[in-house]
Amino acid sequence: MKLKIKTTRFGTISIKKEKTIDMPFGMLGFPDKKKFIILQHRENSPFFWYQSVDDPTLAFVITSPFLFKPDYKIDLEDALKEMSWNGDGKTDHLEIYIVVNIPKGLPEKMTGNFIGPILINNKVRQAVQIVISNSPYIHNFPLLSV
Amino acid sequence: MLILTRKLGEKINIGDDITVTLLEIKGTQVKLGIQAPKSIGIHRNEIYEKIREENLRSSNVTDSDLSKAAALCEPFALRE
Repeated sequence: MKLKIKTTRFGTISIKKEKTIDMPFGMLGFPDKKKFIILQHRENSPFFWYQSVDDPTLAFVITSPFLFKPDYKIDLEDALKEMSWNGDGKTDHLEIYIVVNIPKGLPEKMTGNFIGPILINNKVRQAVQIVISNSPYIHNFPLLSV
Repeated sequence: MLILTRKLGEKINIGDDITVTLLEIKGTQVKLGIQAPKSIGIHRNEIYEKIREENLRSSNVTDSDLSKAAALCEPFALRE
């Protein structure tokens, strides 16, 4: 089944219903937006839009943390418990993204938030934004080291 | 704001499901134990605020800035 989703950035897009991702607790600061889709930014781009299904105007920029910090490592135990995703210890259905920020007109100053990653469970198509405390990571890590 | 005074080991109930216990007092630091349903997010305020702010900023990124940023990352994309 296909869903038609209205977006202000990309017009109306048609997407398979099973491609949507449920966020029972929403993104921090946006608790009432609970459904999202991931859209590839463009070919060869490391970025994706995390587009709200409920709000056409709302989309976050996300990317893989490992592209910029190959040794990125976080403890998922609390999040797995919180989401009741306690399974068989396997993690290959889990995906991690970080939220990207680009100051207006200053793309070279782009940063990634490594203490608020989004954890996606592809098996149940659910996601949660994790709050990482007591880690060596920061909320505005420069993605380009120039 | 409701302000309550509590002694070491004493608790506060918030609604039916949330209990806050004063576990330890050491100089200017207090240790709190919080029992709450897992659907309730409990976060250190300063970290929570930072993440909230980064989310808000990210939602304001323009497509043109993102395309420029992607171009700057090209070596990355190719390496993948």
